[in-house]
Amino acid sequence: MVIGGVAASAHGSAHLTYDLDICYDRARDNIERLAKALGPYHPRLRGVPDDLPFCFDATTIARGMNFTLTTDVGDIDMFGEVVGIGGYKDVKALSITEVLFGDDCAVLSLEGLIRSKRAAARPKDLLILPEIEALRAIETQVKRQSGPIEVRNEDRVKDKQSEHEPGNNL
Amino acid sequence: MDKTQRDELIRLIASPAAGSKIAAAKDFGIDLTLLVRRLELTPTERLQELAAAQAFVQKLRAAKKTPAHE
Repeated sequence: MVIGGVAASAHGSAHLTYDLDICYDRARDNIERLAKALGPYHPRLRGVPDDLPFCFDATTIARGMNFTLTTDVGDIDMFGEVVGIGGYKDVKALSITEVLFGDDCAVLSLEGLIRSKRAAARPKDLLILPEIEALRAIETQVKRQSGPIEVRNEDRVKDKQSEHEPGNNL
Repeated sequence: MDKTQRDELIRLIASPAAGSKIAAAKDFGIDLTLLVRRLELTPTERLQELAAAQAFVQKLRAAKKTPAHE
């Protein structure tokens, strides 16, 4: 599921981010699906010498936990655990479903983002925290006065067969 | 977002309650007017705007590296 800066952006944050953070389910079958899904984009470790051997496959993912990667389509950080929240199931409990580009997508909620940012407490986390907390406060107060903030409906992509394997736990 | 919600949102950011998280964000320097506009977009539109902003910054960085032509 989508966490981090892109999740914040999906909730309305104006903060700029350059990578996609995801939390993944570490069940063996999902790790295999993940390796297969990202493999075509040649993930390699970010911030290490180019000649450092690295093989992105299910074995590597199973032996590690969090990975900082660059791919042909951009930088992706994969987290098996999120500081302040826990593993996939804990993160999923704090996620909501948003329609992103026509597909249902699990996105960490504002509450979850606040917890993870407070726990990580790096300078960059503390920088975005006031905005995310304001977004949550706005959401709560507007909802109290006049109901949940409505956004325009987005059409879901009807035919998802070719691009996604069913049951990818991202 | 309907007009009632938008008016409520504008009221909240224009005069946030003292000690509230919204007031704290304003004092921190967050431009809350950006949030009004962003909240009117769908989540996909917000990410499309993010991608456009990223592309813009990349162009600025590339232009900085290119010597100016007379």
